[in-house]
Amino acid sequence: MGLINIKNAQAPVGTPGNESVSEGGKGKGLPGLFGAGGPTFLTTKLDFVVNWSRRNSLWPMPFGTACCAIEMMAAAASNFDIARFGMERMSFSPRQADVLICAGRVPYKLAPVLRRIWDQMPQPKWCVSMGACASSGGVFDAYSMVQGIDTIVPVDVYVPGCPPRPEGLIYGLMMIQEKIKGETLAEHEALRAEDPLATGRPRAAAEEVEALAGPFGNSTRQNRVSGFVPADVVERPDDRKP
Amino acid sequence: MADDTTPDEGATPTGFEAVEGGPELSTGESPQVVQPEGLERTHPTVKATFDRFPDAVLRHEINAGDQHVLFLESSRNLELLGWLRDDPDQKFDLLSDVTAVDYGGGRPLQVVYQLWSITYRRSLRVKCELPLDALEIDSVVGLWSTANWLEREVYDMFGITFRNHPDLRRILMPKNYAEGHPLRKDFPLRGRFSRAEQTRRALDLDADDYYLPGERGPGRDPQILGESEES
Repeated sequence: MGLINIKNAQAPVGTPGNESVSEGGKGKGLPGLFGAGGPTFLTTKLDFVVNWSRRNSLWPMPFGTACCAIEMMAAAASNFDIARFGMERMSFSPRQADVLICAGRVPYKLAPVLRRIWDQMPQPKWCVSMGACASSGGVFDAYSMVQGIDTIVPVDVYVPGCPPRPEGLIYGLMMIQEKIKGETLAEHEALRAEDPLATGRPRAAAEEVEALAGPFGNSTRQNRVSGFVPADVVERPDDRKP
Repeated sequence: MADDTTPDEGATPTGFEAVEGGPELSTGESPQVVQPEGLERTHPTVKATFDRFPDAVLRHEINAGDQHVLFLESSRNLELLGWLRDDPDQKFDLLSDVTAVDYGGGRPLQVVYQLWSITYRRSLRVKCELPLDALEIDSVVGLWSTANWLEREVYDMFGITFRNHPDLRRILMPKNYAEGHPLRKDFPLRGRFSRAEQTRRALDLDADDYYLPGERGPGRDPQILGESEES
């Protein structure tokens, strides 16, 4: 039903700041009470309490742009009622939200908005990519559409479907809860540290984004099928820029 | 695999050969409807326009059953559309839509004005053809204010410049979009830049840049991340 990104999805890929944090010696776990060498009775119980409270009070930040948002609303309404799982209310402010649900297609014009909402959410935070368009661009393999929001923000759970049923979204949110169960405070910095320089930047490297362009599009008149086209080469003097 | 499927010279390509070649573009004149003569006499406005401006009306068509289409001289669109709006016998006081059509193959772009006369309950479609090397036409914002955003959309999607438009800038695509005009037939579906470059350019643009100065309400200055902690 969903795919958990087992590898640490929160850590920005290829950002130099993340390594420098762990090199500073703080990422190895605090000495003493938290157990320098490994988990202790105290830390595992503390982890349990923290994770229990976190996973049972996930407030979603809805980012609904298309038909997936209708299913997301249905999931929040009385028949399915994600409040049963701790998503007590939809938090329409990113500052008070824990999990970003991106439901629907995201055009490039909306990409900075999505990135800013993600940057505004405080840690700990998770992200659900709901539906085919948010996860991969879906049928919109076109000039205006982001080919998967994981090029913009890190994604924890992808929920497939076009659109997924409310059960699918609930299953994805429960997978987030399962993922939280496995977290420990000893890895807090590795899981939660953010590079301030990555604010407002794409999550994925240029090569990763380029690999998304398959050999066949759904158009037969492509001036490129795949491969890297450097930005500075394309210069069209007849483009009238306002 | 490719060796034993080499197509013969001049043979019609099949399979992926045909797909990669793409659809054949026909060239030549814009498509014209063959219709019996005298039909322009059945629409009172079309008849009056032919009588009054015989040299500015290029031709007349009926589309989709009863949709009368007038092709006008593009240099005189403002004069004729103003007459259609103001003449007491026409009174086309509602401009439903301004859009454009690209038939591809180097044929001229058509600017389409969809008019409706509330007074006489009469519909008329007016088209002006613009050759690809002179994509300029007079703006009709002075006649119908609703043309403001519609012409901005045509400019954004087709690259047609509207002379004397008060605020001609992109309306749908981002401000820093530099790949051209997406609804033109020569525009590749995935855009001209690579996906990585498109992503980079999209995130280069601050969401606050979508607004002009003064367009947002007071007290909504852009928030700059990290500044509040320092001060």
